[in-house]
This record gives sequence, structure tokens and C-alpha cells, in this order.
Amino acid sequence: MEVKFARIEGRSTPFYLAMILLAVLGLAGTFSTYLMHEHGIYLSGLTNRVPWGLQIAMAIFYIGLSAGSLVVSGLYGIFGKMEYKPFARIAAYLAMLFLIAGLLSILTDQGRIDRVFVEPFTYFNVQSMFSINPSLYSGHILICVIYLWALFKEKGRLTKIVSLTVCLWAIGTHTGTGAIFAFVPRELYNSPLLPPSFVAAALSSGAALMIIVIVALSRATRRPLDNELIIWLGRRLLVVFLLCALYVMLIENAHRVYLVESREAGLFFLFGGFHSVLFWGGLIILGSIVPAILLFIRRTGTSIPWIVFASSLVVFGVLCERFLIVVPGLIHPPDLFPGMEITGTVLEEGIAQYSISFLELLQALGVAGIIGFAFLLGLKVLPLAPTEARSSV
Amino acid sequence: MNRRKFLKASGILLSGTACAPGLPILTGCSSTRADRERVLSKYKWGMVINLEKCRLDCDACMVACRKENNVALHGDKRWDIHWIRKVNVRQKDSPDAAWKPVPLLCNHCEEPPCAQVCPVQATYKRDDGIVIVDHHRCIGCRYCVIACPYNARYFNYKENPDWPNKEYPKRSHGVAESCNFCAHLLDQGKKPACVEACDKINANALCHGDLNDPDSEISRLISSNPVKRLREDLGTEPKVYYIGL
Repeated sequence: MEVKFARIEGRSTPFYLAMILLAVLGLAGTFSTYLMHEHGIYLSGLTNRVPWGLQIAMAIFYIGLSAGSLVVSGLYGIFGKMEYKPFARIAAYLAMLFLIAGLLSILTDQGRIDRVFVEPFTYFNVQSMFSINPSLYSGHILICVIYLWALFKEKGRLTKIVSLTVCLWAIGTHTGTGAIFAFVPRELYNSPLLPPSFVAAALSSGAALMIIVIVALSRATRRPLDNELIIWLGRRLLVVFLLCALYVMLIENAHRVYLVESREAGLFFLFGGFHSVLFWGGLIILGSIVPAILLFIRRTGTSIPWIVFASSLVVFGVLCERFLIVVPGLIHPPDLFPGMEITGTVLEEGIAQYSISFLELLQALGVAGIIGFAFLLGLKVLPLAPTEARSSV
Repeated sequence: MNRRKFLKASGILLSGTACAPGLPILTGCSSTRADRERVLSKYKWGMVINLEKCRLDCDACMVACRKENNVALHGDKRWDIHWIRKVNVRQKDSPDAAWKPVPLLCNHCEEPPCAQVCPVQATYKRDDGIVIVDHHRCIGCRYCVIACPYNARYFNYKENPDWPNKEYPKRSHGVAESCNFCAHLLDQGKKPACVEACDKINANALCHGDLNDPDSEISRLISSNPVKRLREDLGTEPKVYYIGL
């Protein structure tokens, strides 16, 4: 099978405009991070009670999105579906960028960015998920680079071995990311189901993003694309990941509400405020049920624009899910005095408040700008995109 | 040495270096941590708080702590730091019950979740049981604040404008901190600032001392009173005991 890859021209005005816009966003985010590093993180919406917010939610969202490479390399390296080989390069490149975006989001969230490049290496803590994960992410980036190199050089055997390694490593990466929260003694964090649920959501957002990128790329460059490939990705793969993620999440919440000790926290999560709107409206209805139905119905499930629309909804739903992993668990107070009420205090007790500040938003957009810029640049200088993709080549 | 041998040797060296961070797991198995700590330090510091003696509208301990340790007060609940704070509690659904003041501080857990999650070991447990932060090493990730089930850890969101005690450092913005039982005073044979302040006003609600010594006042209080620790169900083994909670 011969698949041809080529750089994109990248000389059109819209292309340059997009590059400029992304670069400006990246600079704005860098400036915002500089301000916070100089004056303190109070410039974000974070407080004593909610020490993690948008940046951590974005970090785990990006890391989840990198699972797109896991999907493609799994189809191609493990299940031998050669028709997905045309997308292997773009998947590996994107995975690398998303992992870098995840690391950048975490990096810009640190109080002392100047120490991040020394201390974690000299005082590595084998028990901390925050020590283990960056190692997993860096390893993942490295494997993606090797994967890309093997793909560029058309090294068949090596590609197969590396694509298998990517799969195994990626499962570790996503499990580890879920464990950051799952292994902490907080009522809405502590759950052995969170890591598998994180993997399932990562797979569905990764597959959804691959669909969007592949279709957008073939439309923008006017390169032919076989609809069957996208339909198979959407109707066979995405829908299964989506239902798996939904199933694990349902069990997790049912378990929480069923047990008396965690019932109050579980109900707070499901019905306790703005985050519940995100849960029901964003994650369950718009992010899971609607796309599942769209993919299931034959008429919409075999139409490319509808599949892309459903995929965008899935990505949005997973973004909500990532926010829901981080924030509700923090604004819900730990129960220090079971059966007692508290008053007269110098700290915010009870349900805490969190609102995203402008500078914090700028930081998040900055990271998106930087990796968006790197993506477009990559398309221009590296032969990443297939000249055509057909199921019967 | 030929090339093959050289490559082999460097491979072994490299993999050895890569495995080195995991070695503490192996060595940790040979003797229990408690055994080792007993050898390294004869003290195991703890605190007993007698709520029957603690006064409702008194903040002597909080003020003294803030002054001794340069704890930042910005006048905003979102960012103020409290190494020790007080809350009033009473039984739910009993409006007639009196409010009971409860001082809250770092519990110096035997199994501190904050130290477990710290990616740079900036938070660690000393051999005398004190959980302490090296604020020169902290990278400000706030994972410890998240992991502490007692809301006892704080992060410097802002630069501290005050520096009342020049003998003791203040922390820059961007690092985490919490009560350390005034380790610098203990090392000089003195009492923590909060205990000193409480004794000064003759409330004597706070008792600090050595849990290893069966004849110490704190050990006597614990053995002769019904004591409670916060959220014992979590298995963190706090070393702050409450009488009358």
C-alpha cells in the first residue's frame, strides 16, 4: 500500500491570519503568566478553598485529547487496519502537541515556575502522582517523536513496535492523570473508577478530535478523503467510547449517592449549583446523549457534516467533564465535624466560590494559541497530511 | 575495552541510574519507619486542646502565631493565611445547644497526605513527627492544599506586606505553608507561640509536649481523658487531640 504525504502550501491569507492570531494569543498568555509570576496567583480566580481551577482542567483536557494517537496507532498497529495509516502522522504530531499543551498548562499554574526545572528532578517523590505523571508525559512525548520519525522514514517494523508502545504508554498516561485526583482523600475526588473513566473520556475526545481534524484538513487542502473511513470512526468507534465513558460515570455517581457517607457530596455534585448545569446540560445531554443519537441514526450517522458536529459536541462534553473533575470536588467542603454545624470563622466555610478571572482565561487561551501555532507550522514544514485517504488503497 | 563491551557497560550504568529513584522503596522494607524514627529522635511532638477551657471570643493563639511566624493577613478571606484558626461548632438541629470554640491547626499526621503528594518532597515529616514545608524548595503546585483533608494548608497567593518577627523568615508568594508547631522555638527548648499565649491569659487550653514520654503532661491528659482526633476514619493518625469535642 502506498500512501503519499505532503506539506501543505500555507500561502493563503486565511492561513497567515490564523498564524498571526494564534501567535498573538500565545503572547497574551505568556504576558498573563508573567504578571502572575511577578505579583502572585491571586490574579487568577483561585483561592484558599479552590487552589486548582481552569489551568488544571485544561491540562487534563489536553492530555485526554492526546489519546487520538492512541486510537489511530491502535487501529493501525494492533488491529492491522492499514486504511488508517494515512492519519498516523497527524495523530502522532497532535498527540505530541497536546501533551506539550498539558505540560504548559501545568507549568503556568505553578507558584514558582523558576523552580520547576530543577527541584522535581533532584527531589523526585516516587509516591506523588505529580512526580510520576510528568515523567509519563515526557516519556509519551519522546515516544511520539520516535513514532513520527519511524513514520517519516517508513520503517515498517519499528512503526509497528512503536505504535504498540504508544498504546500501552498512553493508557498509563491517562490512568496516571485520573489518579492525580482519584488518589486524594476528598469526597468528590477519591474514587477508583476515576482513572478508567478518565481513559474512556480521553479515548472518546481523542477519537472525536481526530475526526474533526481529518475532515477539516481534507476540506481545507481539497485533498480527497473516503467517507467510509470517517463513518467507521464515528459509528463504530466513537460511539462505543462514548457509551463506555457514560457507563463508568453513571456507576461512579450512583455509588456515591447510594452510600450514606458520600450521599450529601454526591447530591451536591448532581444538583448543587452551576457545575450541575454543566454536568446535565453540557456533559450528559449535549456531550453524550445527543451525539450518541446523531451517530446512531443512519441518516445523520452517515453524513460527514453531522458526524463532525457530533464529534464537536463530544469534545465539548469532555471539556465540561474535565472541569467537573477538578472544581466541584474543591468547592464542596471536607466534613471536619460530622453531624455539627460551623460558624464564626476566618476562612470561607461551606460551599466555596470559584470564578475564572480574565488573566486566567488569557493563560488558557495562550496555551491554545501556542500549540495551534505549532500545529499550523508543522503542517507547513513537515509532510504530515496525506495527499489522499481511501479505504481501498 | 572494545565497542561492544563499552556499550554493554554504559547500558548497565544508564539503567542503574534510571532505577535509582526507586531504591528507597526496597530499602524501606527492611525496617519499619516507626522503628527508624524512634532511633533518630526521642521526641514525638503532639498537642492536646481542651475545649472546655478554650474561650469563645478569644483569639490570643491566632494573634501570637501570626506575630511569631509572620503569617500573612491580607484582609480577604480568599487569601488570608491561618496556621491556627478558630471555628465555633454545635450539634446540628439543636438550636439551644451552646456554640463550642474549636481551634484548628495542622494535625501533624503520622501519615500526612500532603507529604505523600508533594512532587519535590518540600513537605516532609521530621523524625520528631512535625510536618514541615521547605519553602525554598516548594514549587507552588498546591497539590498539598488539595490533599489535606483538614483545610490546614495554605498557599501564598500574594506577597505578605508585614514582617513583624525579623528573627523568622517570611515566605515569598507562590509557595505553600502550614503550622509547624513553631519548630524553631521547640528546637530552642521553648513552647509554640500559641501555647505560650494561651498560658499567658491563664486559659491553659493548649498543651504541647512529647507523646513518646509516658510521664509528660500531654500523655497524662490523653490517658486520663476521653480524647478525639479529627476525621480518624481517614487513617491519617493526627497528633492533635481534642478534649470535649
